[in-house]
Amino acid sequence: MSDASISPHACSGSLYWAIQAKRNIGVRGLFVVVLAFMVAYGFLFHGLFTGSGFAKFTQSWFPLALVAMAQAILMLTGGISLAIGALVSLGAVIAATTMTGPLGVAGGTALVCLVGLGIGAATGVIVVRLRLPAIVVTLAGSFIIAGAALLVLPRPGGAMPPWLSDLLAGNTPAAFGVLVVVVLLWKLYLATPLGLSLYAAGENPVGAYRSGVPVDAARIAAYAISGLLCTGAGLFVAAQTGSGDPIIGNSFTLNSIAAAVLGGIGFLGGQGTMRGALAGSLLLSLMISVMFFLGFTPVAQYVAQGLIIIGAVAIPQFRMRAR
Amino acid sequence: MASSVPILAARGVSKAFFGNPVLRSVSISLEPGRVHALLGENGAGKSTLINLLSGALRPDSGTIEIDGKAVSRHSPPEARRAGIAVVQQELSLTNSLSIAENIGLGAYPRRFGLVDYPALAARAKAACDLVGLHEPLSTPVGELSLGRRQMVEIAKALYRKPRVLILDEPTSSLSATETRILTTLLEKLRSEGIAILYISHRLDEVMQLCQHVTVLKDGICTADRPLEGVNAAGLVRLMVGRDPGDLFPRWDSTRTERVAVSVSRFAAGLMRDVDLEVRAGEVVGIGGLVGQGQEDLLLGLYGAIPAKAASAVINDAAGLPANVPQANTRGLAYVPADRKREGLHLIHPIVTNLMLPAFARMPALKLRSRARERETAMGLALQFAIKGDLGRAAQALSGGNQQKVALAKWMPLDPAVLLLNDPTRGVDVETKREIYAMLRAFAAAGKAVVLLSSDTPELVHLCDRVAVVREGRVVTLLERGELSEEAIVAAAMGAEPVRAAA
Repeated sequence: MSDASISPHACSGSLYWAIQAKRNIGVRGLFVVVLAFMVAYGFLFHGLFTGSGFAKFTQSWFPLALVAMAQAILMLTGGISLAIGALVSLGAVIAATTMTGPLGVAGGTALVCLVGLGIGAATGVIVVRLRLPAIVVTLAGSFIIAGAALLVLPRPGGAMPPWLSDLLAGNTPAAFGVLVVVVLLWKLYLATPLGLSLYAAGENPVGAYRSGVPVDAARIAAYAISGLLCTGAGLFVAAQTGSGDPIIGNSFTLNSIAAAVLGGIGFLGGQGTMRGALAGSLLLSLMISVMFFLGFTPVAQYVAQGLIIIGAVAIPQFRMRAR
Repeated sequence: MASSVPILAARGVSKAFFGNPVLRSVSISLEPGRVHALLGENGAGKSTLINLLSGALRPDSGTIEIDGKAVSRHSPPEARRAGIAVVQQELSLTNSLSIAENIGLGAYPRRFGLVDYPALAARAKAACDLVGLHEPLSTPVGELSLGRRQMVEIAKALYRKPRVLILDEPTSSLSATETRILTTLLEKLRSEGIAILYISHRLDEVMQLCQHVTVLKDGICTADRPLEGVNAAGLVRLMVGRDPGDLFPRWDSTRTERVAVSVSRFAAGLMRDVDLEVRAGEVVGIGGLVGQGQEDLLLGLYGAIPAKAASAVINDAAGLPANVPQANTRGLAYVPADRKREGLHLIHPIVTNLMLPAFARMPALKLRSRARERETAMGLALQFAIKGDLGRAAQALSGGNQQKVALAKWMPLDPAVLLLNDPTRGVDVETKREIYAMLRAFAAAGKAVVLLSSDTPELVHLCDRVAVVREGRVVTLLERGELSEEAIVAAAMGAEPVRAAA
C-alpha cells in the first residue's frame, strides 16, 4: 500500500488547501449558473465592466451578501433567524442618529457593532442555554428589535455624513473591498478550533460534545457574529440612502433565507458552505437585476424568483435520490 | 502477562433507570496489556457499563477507579484527560468535515489560536496509518462507506493516544480485510501496554483476540475470568439461561393448515432472500441481534417500505401490499417498537388513539359518532385492561398501558395477521404477562402473529417457530421442539454452522 501513502511532509503543507478545494465540489454547478447570469447581465448592461458600474452593482449586492452570511452561519449550527431584517433596520437607525452627533463616525460604528454583537449573543444564549426553538425566539426577537428601531427613530430621518455615503455608496468599489475583508475574516474564524467546530456542532451535536467540542459556545458565538453582520448591513444601507428608516430592513429576512438556500445551505445544520451562501446571494442579486433589465413586471419578478428558488432546492435533492 | 494495577476499574457499580435496575454490583478491571472482552445479550447492561466507565453516566452506587484511585466525579472530560477513549457504536463523526478535521475534532493542535493544519495532517496521518486508512486526509467523511467511517472513528480514538481503549462492536460494519487490520492493530496496541475493552457479538473474534472475559446477564456479572479453557458454547451458556418463572402462559399449539402469509425470495431494506410461511393460529418469532434487518422484514410485509418478492400470498390474495392502507384492508396490522414516536399520538386522548385506525377506514366526510366511539373504546379498554380515564392524554399512561393502547387500537379492524415489533420493550413485568397471554389468545382465535423480539426468552416460550436473522438473512428456522435460548443466541452470533432456512 506504499503507493497510496504520500510522504507526511508533502501532504502536510497542502492539507488546508486540499480541504478547501474539496469544499468547492458541491457548489461548482452554482458557480456556473452565477457566471451565466453574470454574462447575461453584462450583455444587458454594458456599464457593468466600467469602474462605477461595477461599484454600483457590488453596492446593490453588498447588504444581501452580509445578511446571507448572517443567515448561513445560523443555519450551519442547525438554527435560523427571523430577526435579520429587524436587526438591519436597527443598525440603520442607530447609524443615522449617532454618526452626525457627538459620537462621530467611529463611535457610531462601534455602537452599531456592539448592539449587533450583544443582541446576537443574547439571542444565542436564549436559544442554546434554554434549549428553545430558534425560529420562535427569533420571531419574538424580531418584534422586540423592530420596536426598538421605532423607538430610536419613529419615522424616516436622521442623517449620515455625506463623505461616508460617498465612500461606501459612491463611484468607488469600497463596498466590494469591505466584503473581501469580511470574507477573509470569516476564513480566519473558520480556521480556529471554535469556528471549525461550528460544522460539528450543527450536524452532530452529540458526537461533537463527546469529542470535547464546546458545542454551546460555538453556537452562541455564531449568533453573535450573525447579529454583527446584520447591524453592519444596516449601517451600509443607511449610508446608501443617506438617512435612517426603521423598517428599511424588512425584506432582508426572507431574502437572506432565499440566498442561503440558493447557496446550498441545508436546514438540518452542518450542510453547505459560506462560499455557497455568498454565491447564492450574488445569484439572487443578479436575478433581480437581469429581470429588471428584461422589463419583467414586479409580479413576474417575484413569481420567477420563487420558482427559481424551488428549482434550486429540488435539483440537488432529486440528484441525491437518483443516486 | 502483565498483571498490575488496573488503569481503569469499576468496583461494585449499580445503575437503575426509572427504578429498573440495569446493572447490579458489577465489577470490571481493565489492565494494561490485556484485551478484555465484554459479552452479554441485548439489554444485559453492556452499554450502561461503558457509559459508566467513560463518565457519560454516574453510578448509583459503587466506584470508578483510575490507576487504583477512586474518582469522585467521573465525567467525559475527566475520562479524556485520564486517557480513556471510547469508540462508540453510533458514529460521532461530522459528514461535512474532512477525515483529518474529524480525527482532530475537540483536540486540534493550535498555532496562534488557529488550527495548526500541518501538525494536524502529520498526527492524523499517523493515526490513519495505524488503521490502514489511505484515503486522502482531505476527503469529506460523508463520502466514505460505513466501514471506512468506523475506521475513521477508531483513528480518532487513537489520535488522542489513549491508555484505555473501549471499542463498542467495532467490527459490525467492517469488511473482512478491515477486521483483520483492526485485529492486528489491537494486538500491537496491547503489546504497547494499552488496556482494551472489546465488545463484540462475534464470538470467533473474541476467542481469537481477547485474553479475559466479563459476561453480563440481566445486569449481573456471571463470569470474570481468563478466556483460556472456555469455548464458544460455554460463553453462550454464561450469557443466557434465565428462569422464566411463571411469566409465560402454558399453551398448546393452535396452528392450522391455513396459510396466512407466504413469501419467497422476499427482500426489503436490509433483508434478502427470505422464504417465510406463517400459518393462521401460530406465533412466529423473529429473533437475532438488534439491527440485523428484522424490522425491515415486518415493515416490508406491511407495505411501509418498498419490498420485493418472487411470490407472495397474504390472506389468500397474491402480491405484497403496496402501502399501509392496502395492508390494513388485507388484514395486516403493525405495532411499532417505538410507541412514543410511531405507535401513539401522545398528546391526544386515549380514546382518539384507540379510534385512529377506524378513522382511516371511514368515508372522509362522514360525521363522527362520539357515543359510538366512546362505546368501542370502552369495550377495548375493558378487553385489554387499560386502566384510567380514556379522556386523558395517552402520555399520562405507563409504558405498559401505552403499549396496550397501541395494540388495542387495531382490534376493531379484526386483523388476520398481527406484526408486532418488540411489544414488551420497556414494559413492566405485570403487563408483559398480560401481553404474553393476549398473544397466545390471538393465535388461539385463529390469527397469525409475527413477533419480532429482542428478548430471547420471549421467543423460546411463546413461539411455535422462530426465524433467526443475521446480517439481513434468515439463517435458521427453529421449530418449537428445538427452541432454546442457547440455540437462538448461537444462531444469532453465528457460533454454529449455518443451516438452510426451511
